Amino acid sequence: MLKFNNVTKRFPDGTEAIRNISLQVPRGQFCVVLGPSGAGKSTLLRMLNGLSSPTEGEVMLDDEQITGKSVSRLRRKVATVHQQFNLTPRMSVALNVLSGALPQVSHWRAGIGLFPAALREKACRLLDEVGLTPEHLPRRVSELSGGQQQRVGIARAFMMDPAVLLADEPVASLDPRISRGILQLLHRQSRNHGTTVLCSLHQPELAREFGDRIVAVSQGRLVFDGTPAQLTDSVCEDLYHGTLNRHHEEPKAAVPVSVPSLEMAIA
Amino acid sequence: MSNLSVNQAANWHLPQPYNTRHVLFALIALLILAVSGVRMEVPRMVHDTVQGVGYAVGLADESPVATGVKRIAESIWPLRISEETEISRIENFDRENLPWLSRVEVIETKMQRMNTDTLRLEETIESKEVLIKPLGYLSHVLLKMLETLEMALWGTLLSVLLSIPLAYFAAANYAPNRFAYNLSRSTISLFRAIPELVSALFLVLAFGFGPIAGFLALGIHGAGFLGKFYAEDIENADRGPQEALQSIGAGKVKTLWYGVLPQVMPQYIAYTLYIFDRNVRMATVIGIVGAGGIGLELKGRFDMFNFDHVGTILVIIFLTVFLLDQFSARLRSRIL
Ligand SMILES: Nc1ncnc2c1ncn2[C@@H]1O[C@H](COP(=O)(O)OP(=O)(O)OP(=O)(O)O)[C@@H](O)[C@H]1O
Ligand SMILES: [Mg+2]
Repeated sequence: MLKFNNVTKRFPDGTEAIRNISLQVPRGQFCVVLGPSGAGKSTLLRMLNGLSSPTEGEVMLDDEQITGKSVSRLRRKVATVHQQFNLTPRMSVALNVLSGALPQVSHWRAGIGLFPAALREKACRLLDEVGLTPEHLPRRVSELSGGQQQRVGIARAFMMDPAVLLADEPVASLDPRISRGILQLLHRQSRNHGTTVLCSLHQPELAREFGDRIVAVSQGRLVFDGTPAQLTDSVCEDLYHGTLNRHHEEPKAAVPVSVPSLEMAIA
Repeated sequence: MSNLSVNQAANWHLPQPYNTRHVLFALIALLILAVSGVRMEVPRMVHDTVQGVGYAVGLADESPVATGVKRIAESIWPLRISEETEISRIENFDRENLPWLSRVEVIETKMQRMNTDTLRLEETIESKEVLIKPLGYLSHVLLKMLETLEMALWGTLLSVLLSIPLAYFAAANYAPNRFAYNLSRSTISLFRAIPELVSALFLVLAFGFGPIAGFLALGIHGAGFLGKFYAEDIENADRGPQEALQSIGAGKVKTLWYGVLPQVMPQYIAYTLYIFDRNVRMATVIGIVGAGGIGLELKGRFDMFNFDHVGTILVIIFLTVFLLDQFSARLRSRIL
């Protein structure tokens, strides 16, 4: 269970990236986060793995608040798949995947690169699951295609059996066909491992196809929360025009969403 | 509308790239160079050099520089390869069992002697037996060069070992606190500020003559250089992989090891090779103050005016540096 309680994030320069967001994601759900550029999607996700911390409100993971103290313990339950893959270039595929389990490896073992057999087997199994072959093991990740690199990134993310997987625009730099393949993989992997997923995307059609649930943020506010079916084309249009306002609160209302002035009058 | 465009034209202004201030600066710089040039005897340098070149092509009748160069060249050539030792000075000399490649020769030297009876100068011929090793001196120099290379190697090793912790604490994004950062940065500056020759002088006093002082001096200076450059590469490394490892809780040291080191390795190797290269050259110089290796031999021969020996030493140094250059260039191109 993953919970945001009235979270606000203000950067030192005064930017309010997140404004009073409350959100609960139950265990095992595949939740897609939509929103225009600069809406605050990355900031929202980064508060879960401790790369950013809320100015107000609390972020909870399995009923424990993520604070400066608990973050180093809690972040081991959270894995991240990044838009730019964030693999270590010039390092082999094998070591990149193994590095996903670094917190479990002692300093001296990590120092000389002697990973325990169990971890090495797990790395091979995961690489097999993401569709790579044994020939890829010694290759440098910088020599792989973008799609293959993201597969390595996904394998790395599952090395520590995360309870939560954060995917920040995992397919933003990949072509449409590869993108679908990667999301299929993410979806299947998280189903098989029982992982809760929070995945930000820029493609509403992919969100509809793979999300159990879709939320949307705009200018730091949560403006939509619903099922894939409720994410109609007109909602999307409003979202990217910045004219969407908590549409989901009246899911049965006959008010056409495309009339924002009326919406605002009601709110 | 036209009014607006007129206003805009008045606002636009593109000045020349230079103004009086630039000219003033240029004049001051020239003045400083002129004063300093006189102090550095630049005019005499130009005069003597031109005269030397003129002498070489037959335009000038005399040139102190050219004569000096000629005298040195004549005394360097031919290079000293062999080694002669008077047999009477060799203990337990075994005539039947000569060292490899060596031979015994009798050398006759004419001497002017004062005859004490007649009080006249008489010419006498003295002969002495010498053992000649044809490659004796060359192999001696090669051994000294090897010692110098070993000094450079150990100096490099030491500087790498010292600079790893220094770089870790001197990288702003890894230093645990401000104090450690400042301490490390100032240590690095201090190490870089002390020239090898100076620290070698003091280290010779502490550790005595020999390679210890040499490689310690090299190691300390190299650590300052490497610490600075390693730290800067850590700071400039791509943050993405580091964030990825940090966000799963890998800890700073392991993040550095797996998120940064593979990225910066090629540069690190290039710096380290450069330091090794530099250490080889510096090791020959600091030998002069007694820190072992070929430098000591060079200084001894120079002080005794044995320029043919000096010539051999210089050729060996040149060949070593040249070969090392080739080697490191090849290694670098393979790694990068
Ligand atoms: N470190 C920071 N300091 C100041 N402002 C920041 C910082 N990081 C992000 N912001 C601002 O916070 C807002 C939200 O940024 P965020 O990166 O979360 O958006 P995003 O939804 O992920 O956008 P994109 O789709 O382009 O990735 C933006 O206005 C951005 O400029
Ligand atoms: Mg983003």
